[in-house]
Parts: sequence; structure tokens; C-alpha cells
Amino acid sequence: MIRLLSILLFSAMGLLIPSAAQEFNIATKPLTAISAEDLSAGQDRYGVLCARCHGMLGEGGEGPSLKRPRLSYAPDDESLKRVIGGGIPGTGMPGNWALGPTELHQVAGYVKSLGQLDAEEAPGDAEKGQLVYETKGNCSACHILRGVGKGIGPELSEVGLRRNSEYLYRSITNPSADQPKVSNRFRGTLNSFLTVRAVSEYGTFEGLRINEDEFSVQMRDMSGKTYSFDKAKLISYEKDFGHSLMPGYGALLNQEEADDMVSFLMTLKGDLE
Amino acid sequence: MRIFSSFWRFAAASLFFTFFCASAFAQTSYKQLLADEKNGDDWLSYSGGYKSERFSPLEQINPVNVSQLKVMWAYQMQAAGIAGAGLQETTPLVANGIMYLTEAPSSVTALDARTGNLLWHWKPDISEEVLNIGFPRINRGVALLDDSVFVATLDARLFALDAISGAVRWEAAVADNSVGFSLTLAPLALDGKIIVGVSGAEAGIRGFIDAYDSNTGERLWRTFTVPEPGEPGSETWQGEAWQTGGGSTWLTGSFDAELNTLYWTTGNPAPDWNGDLRPGDNLFTCAVLALNPDTGEMLWHFQYTPHDTHDWDANQIPVLIDGEFEGKQRKLLALANRNAFYYLIDRETGEYLLGEEYSYQTWAEGIDDLGRPIVKLNTEPTREGNLVWPSLQGATNWFSPSYNPITGQFFVPNRRMGAIYYKADVEYTPGAPFLGGGEQALDGDQASGAIVALDAMTGRQEWEFELLTPPWSGVMATGGGLVFGSSAEGVFFALDAATGNPLWNFNSGAHIRTNPMGFAIDDNQRVAIVGGRTLFVFGLE
Repeated sequence: MIRLLSILLFSAMGLLIPSAAQEFNIATKPLTAISAEDLSAGQDRYGVLCARCHGMLGEGGEGPSLKRPRLSYAPDDESLKRVIGGGIPGTGMPGNWALGPTELHQVAGYVKSLGQLDAEEAPGDAEKGQLVYETKGNCSACHILRGVGKGIGPELSEVGLRRNSEYLYRSITNPSADQPKVSNRFRGTLNSFLTVRAVSEYGTFEGLRINEDEFSVQMRDMSGKTYSFDKAKLISYEKDFGHSLMPGYGALLNQEEADDMVSFLMTLKGDLE
Repeated sequence: MRIFSSFWRFAAASLFFTFFCASAFAQTSYKQLLADEKNGDDWLSYSGGYKSERFSPLEQINPVNVSQLKVMWAYQMQAAGIAGAGLQETTPLVANGIMYLTEAPSSVTALDARTGNLLWHWKPDISEEVLNIGFPRINRGVALLDDSVFVATLDARLFALDAISGAVRWEAAVADNSVGFSLTLAPLALDGKIIVGVSGAEAGIRGFIDAYDSNTGERLWRTFTVPEPGEPGSETWQGEAWQTGGGSTWLTGSFDAELNTLYWTTGNPAPDWNGDLRPGDNLFTCAVLALNPDTGEMLWHFQYTPHDTHDWDANQIPVLIDGEFEGKQRKLLALANRNAFYYLIDRETGEYLLGEEYSYQTWAEGIDDLGRPIVKLNTEPTREGNLVWPSLQGATNWFSPSYNPITGQFFVPNRRMGAIYYKADVEYTPGAPFLGGGEQALDGDQASGAIVALDAMTGRQEWEFELLTPPWSGVMATGGGLVFGSSAEGVFFALDAATGNPLWNFNSGAHIRTNPMGFAIDDNQRVAIVGGRTLFVFGLE
């Protein structure tokens, strides 16, 4: 049954289905029982494919930290391999179709080993951070957290699962430093929350790109209003890859407040209060 | 095609279709196939004729009226029957008012080309466990000959179906799917023969091209694309590497009846990215082969990418062009290669004539006088990863280019994307991926695409229409002065062939990964494209 299930899951993702018994033996071994040789091979492959977003030791960055015993999209061995091979639609995680079952086993084994490492420590006080979020930061003007706030910027209820402390600190003090991405199976990995500027005969519009094709662009301004423009009718249209519309809080918050805010965001793991 | 608008013309056409179509339906002679590219009303073979021009000579839709184009009908595809078969790459064919298309993984549908109403649907019994190593569970279309429809299946079989009812006439086992052979291409019908090629280089198959008797399904010949020891070309392999050498033949070829020569392209050597395991040029991979269609004998070959290590199959459409090259009238074979160069070959002799860069690339200084790429240092995949343009999907890919024989323009869908290529160890296991590495493509926002118009005789760019992200769909030029194309964003559009200016577009609502085709019904021009799982047919009236 497990074998049948894995076949269905793999084929559902459009992945490669091994037929040789030997390959299945490798593919169905528990990841915790991975050999030192496979672990080393997995580390090499991880370095090429995964480290750019997840960090070489799984500390996270653009992608979530993997130094957690239980990954939200990949709680077990099979789902971990499925995620590595097929990606996570609607997120920045792309698939890696060229990984065969042996390589999937090796990379997944290495990722699993990262989960045994110590989790990060919070740099400050999460409770104080929540207060900063709600008052001085006025973050709910642009972010939704546990259903509360305005949906201009990223939803934050699970941000503690996705980002490490270093990334969160940078996001607060210098939001332009990182550009969140979303993986599209057909269009490649695209910037989400990309700042765009459109100048039409009615004026200049600045906002976040929601979607775009060759002929039109859909954007949302900071008040939450959605616009759709025909590119041919615009006087100009530009993408500002290096600039986030979120203001930097480096000047507004002192070091302690920023650390507290980071600590609060680290606690956000999808639990509804 | 002439367009008549009078009532009497309409009435006569209606009567014809009412009373005489049943006997006219479902017959596609070899003679008709020879005239396919001149006949705008039908579209009888994958590329719209043996020369593979993918050119519709119809003139009713033109730059002035194309803005009035509208959906005449749509057809939504049937349930695939197995998982992972949602993507569509089919080119529909139209013969005598009936449209034949495939649906993933390998089903065939016949529709009334006037209304889109279903006439019949045939679904082969394909196991959930079918192997498709290195490509999705797709199919690119059927072939028509006499009263049969021919379809190649994902599990490596070839079927002949009755064109009237969809009933099976015969079935042939082409190859063993359990070791990675698969068929996704539209077969090519010649006089009494059906030609097919295979996919599977990512599983370490040894590629071949087959011919089958169209009446019986008996195999007439098989030509391997990787030579065994002692055969010509075997000096470009070492040891046993030829046995798992790849060279798949997964895209429909072209045919010159006057020269009685079949032209077929070949794919990458295996394993893809670790070339250390197969030293040498690895003939006849990444090449175009000229074959005698009666015997399968190889007349000549031209290898585009010797010892490929980037998965740059040469499985692109070889377009047969007659024209004046450097002051001399020649029979040419034009191919815009995945490796970012546009090539002209003399198709009588195989002589290399031209290799012009048509897309940004970082791997070659250019092409030398014999047609061999001058490869730059440090462009191979490495253990740590090496950034090279184009990405493994190439500067273009299987989706079709188009050639306008009147203006001499060659239109290419172009992908502009780099990738980090890496190399890994790999051992051959039957029926398992045999890759030896992989790639990590650059972000979509760091990449783009274009429809590019080239002067077919020089390869020089006339214009480009930029696309947001790299496309995965073909183009079709028309006698009305248009080029139809699509984007990965799912927009189907018409460009002015003279300038590249966009004149009309339609959001299909889903990713487009098919080729456009054209036909006429009741003297009205039609253009068709599949977006997502829906076939759209457009016209003016």
C-alpha cells in the first residue's frame, strides 16, 4: 500500500517513477538510516540546489530554516522527497525534476539531518515584540496576522516557520535587501511583492505587481486598490527590483525593539490564537 | 483560398457538406499529403506539410481585420485516465471538415471542425505506472493516411485507428517502456509507411527511427542513432557507452519527395550532464540525419553539438527551404537549434553552410567553417555548478518555428534564460533516470522570451517581439501577413509579420504549450490553439 501510495504521489507530481527493484529499495529506506556516503553525496547536491535559499547548514534565508525536526510541508520521509522533487506550488520552492530516486534519497537524508541541529534562539523578548508590532510598528496597516490587519504585504501568521532571525531582522530594518519569490511551474521563479510604477495619462501609479503578461499588468497600491493596465496605453512602466514599498524601521525602532519584534515574529507558526 | 460571401456560395457549400461529406470524410491520400503546404483548407500533418513550414497560406485574416478575431468554438478535453497527464502539447490536424487531436497521455479525439462537437474519442489502456523519464505525460498529435489515424503512445506502442469511428485497425509494439522508451511525437505518414521516433535518453536508451507498414503495422526498418562497434561513427564512442548512449528521436521529421529523403533529428547523449562517462563526439546524437525512407539507410548526417553536456537535444523542427544562398539556388535545411545557433545545411549533401547566433549564449565563440562549435573554456557542468546560457531547455525547443516561403522569413520562439549546470556521478540502472547532474535555472524575472523573425538565408534578425518569460509554444505564419504565437502567461496573440507589432491578443486562462495551426471551414479561415486543457478555434465569421 505504501509503495502504491508513493507511486501515485510521485506520478501526481509528474515526477519520475522508478521501476527497478534496487531503486525502490534505496528510495524506501528510512532517511534516518542513511549511510555516511549517501549523506555526503546529499550534502554536495544540497550545496548546488538548496543552499542558495535555505543556507548551507539549513539556517534559512530566502527560504525557511530547515533546522527543525518537523517541516510543515514535509512531516515525513515521503512528503519530504515529494517536496524536494516537485516543489511547493504557490511558494518560492521550485521542483527538481532531474533528481532520481537515489539522489532524492540523498538530498532528503541531508535535509533530515539538519533537523537534528539545534534550533535558533530568539534574540529578544517576544511579548514586548508583539506590543511593538501592535503599537509603534503599526504593522497591521499592511500585514494580516491571524486574520487581523490589511492584506497589502505578506501574510505573517506562519512567518516564523519560513524565515530565520537574520532574514526577519533585515526585513524590518532594510526591507529592500530581500525580494520574496514565488515559484511558478511554467513561468519560473518570479518576484512576488515586486514594486512597479506605471505612468498613464491619469497619473503615476506605484504599487505591488499582482500579475502580468505581455499585454497587461495588474497591481495593487498601498491603499489596497487594484489596478489593471494595458501596457500599450501606458506612457511608461517600470519594475523596481531593488526597492520594497515597505518602509525601513531601522530609524524608528531601537536595537532592542527590533530584536523583540524579530523574536515575536519567530513565534508565529500558524497557530490561531 | 478564395473567400466568397454570396448566399449561393454558402448554400452550395452547405449542400455539399450535408450530402457529400460522409463519403469525402476520412480519406487522406499520399497525394494530398504532398500538396499539404499549398492547401490552406486542411492541415494534414503535424507541421502542415512535408517541408515543415508551419505556414498557413490563407489570407482572409490580415493585419487590418485581425482585431475582429473571436472564438468560434472551444473544446474541453476528456479526463486523462491516469495521474500526471494534464499538460497538452498537441497540434490538431484537419481533413475534410474533421479535426483530429490527441489528449494527454495518448488519447485521440475527432471533432466536427465546424462546431467542435465530438465525433469520437479513443483512449488506450495505459498503466498508471508507465515510465516517462525526463518529460511530462504528453502527446504531440496524430498522423493521417488513407482511412486511418495513427497515434504513438506514452508506453511505446503505435496504433492505427479507423478515421471514421476510432476503432483500432492494428497495434504495433515499438519498444519496451519498462527500460524508459516512450513515444510522444506525432508520427509522420509517407507513402504506405508510418515513421516514428522514441523518447528516453534520460533513461539511457539507445535511440532509433522506425518505419511501419501503414496497412499492416509490420516494421519495415529500424535505424539506430548510436552506432554499435565497427559501424560508421562508432569511433566517437569508447567502451560500452554506446549501449546506453541516448540519441532519442522524439520529434517529427521532414520529407523531400523529389530527393526521396527523410530528415530526422536526434537528441542528447546519455548521461546528460556527465560527459566523462562517454568520451568522444558521441555520434549521431544532437544531429540531423538524412535517411532513405525505403530502407532507413543513412545518407549523411550533420552533428550540431558534438559531445553535448547541457542536454541540448537537436530535436527541433528541420524546415526544408528552397532558395538562393550566396548567389546559388540550393535545397536547404534550416534549423534553429536549442544551442542558440541558427543553421543552414545543404539537404542534398549535408554540407554545412551557415551557423548564426540567434539568442544570447555563453558557451561558444561561434561556429567554424565545417559547422563545429568553437566551445569556450569552463562552460561544462561542474560539481559546484556552472552558470551557462542558454538553460537546458535551450534557446528554443520542440515547439515549432514557422517559415513564410513568400517573404523568406523564419520565425522562432526564443527562450532567454541561463542555468547553473552541475555534474554528478551516476550508474546505469534499467528504467531509472540516467542523468549525471542537473541544472538550476535562473529566476523567471531574470529571464525573458521573444518571438524572433530571422532572414532565413542569413540568420540575421529582422525584428523581435519580447515575451515576459521564456515561452513553451510554437508559432505559425500566414499568407495574410500575420504570425500567431503564445506566451507562458497563456496569451495567444497575432503579430504583424512585417514589423513584429502586436495586433490582437486573447487570454486563454492557462499556460499554453502547443503549436498553432490553421484551416478553413465553409471558406472561412480558422486558427486553433490549445491553452491549458481547452482547444480554442478563432475566426472572423
